[in-house]
Amino acid sequence: MTDNDQQDDEMDCGLSVAERDILFRELNALPDTMPPRVVWQRISEQAKAEGLIGGSRQLERMKWMAGAAIAATVAMLALNLSSGPFGNSPVDPGDGEFSNTPAVMETSGPRDLNALKVESQILERNLRQLPAQPSVMKVSTATTIQDLEDRIAAIDYRLNDRTIRLDPRQEEIYWRERVRLMNSLVRLRYAQAQRISF
Amino acid sequence: MSKFSDIQIDAGIVRRAAKGDAKAHEIIYRAFSAPVYSVGLRFTRVPAHAEDLLQETFIEVMRSIAKFRGEAPLGSWIRRIAVSKALMFLRSAWHSRGQSLDDDWAEVTPGAAASHGVSDRPDEALDLDAALANLPEVSRAVVWLHDVEGFTHKEIAGLMGRTESFSKSQLSRAYQRLRPMLQTKVGASDAGLENELLGHC
Repeated sequence: MTDNDQQDDEMDCGLSVAERDILFRELNALPDTMPPRVVWQRISEQAKAEGLIGGSRQLERMKWMAGAAIAATVAMLALNLSSGPFGNSPVDPGDGEFSNTPAVMETSGPRDLNALKVESQILERNLRQLPAQPSVMKVSTATTIQDLEDRIAAIDYRLNDRTIRLDPRQEEIYWRERVRLMNSLVRLRYAQAQRISF
Repeated sequence: MSKFSDIQIDAGIVRRAAKGDAKAHEIIYRAFSAPVYSVGLRFTRVPAHAEDLLQETFIEVMRSIAKFRGEAPLGSWIRRIAVSKALMFLRSAWHSRGQSLDDDWAEVTPGAAASHGVSDRPDEALDLDAALANLPEVSRAVVWLHDVEGFTHKEIAGLMGRTESFSKSQLSRAYQRLRPMLQTKVGASDAGLENELLGHC
């Protein structure tokens, strides 16, 4: 029995003490199920893409690479060998700007439907401005990107299917979910672009 | 209580996780992934959805763990995130089917309802998991939250964005549905020594 108050029990009608005991005992004895191992890989990949985690080894490597990059820059400047700007953005310059910060939108807080649509369009535009995906990438990254794109496509299908009538609340939920997924996709692709440029 | 509260994580691991230490997050994931995944499975019955919920829960844990103050056990905090994500999923699923929460019970036809929780085969009748699977999603979620996770009706109402009466009504209807199966079990173990009802409908 939990800490639920006695008032709760008044509505838990129809069960005898013995029946209730069995229900509690068996519910709490139901075994947990282990998730597939691949889920942690996906979480880890997304977390790294969003900058939520950074393993110490990875951090060390990044520090080392940053140090090496600075050293190379200094050496090149000293030798006056550079013929163009350093730290070129990985984006095709003719294709728009590629800022140094992830082009994502804040997803919390109440927004109306039009705001969500505008936000979604901005995220689409930001996604297009990112450089093309590399031809070789980790399987887990590719899977996560594919999954996000599939889920966005499924939402688009629903939003564009004229045989499905959505009320404003349902439409808002779809658009909100679309913005959330687009945000994840942009973050992931941005992190990927950063890795390539580095 | 659920298994969340039985899992203890060293405060040092939590502090390391708050600083973005990947290994610490992996330790937390290994400790809580099974109960979180199980909540997802109980609520949605679809492994792919449960995997999504697991991923969303732990991404949220990673985003927010720096704000975790340690006043409550880590397990309770993670459980609340998992439950919140699962309910959000159910809410979106209800909408995607164009149904409201109230319509959940209407899905079950009278003929099917009569057999829910009970089977002609005794081995199936003893299977609580199967009986739960036959409950409407909302009721199954309420049973799980109330009887396993230990939430009060007030808390469930808050999580679901509904009233306490709604939560109580869902639980009551779920119990009615499960009762034939439970009676079979009581009859099998004990010829009903204490068959006194706990409350009144």
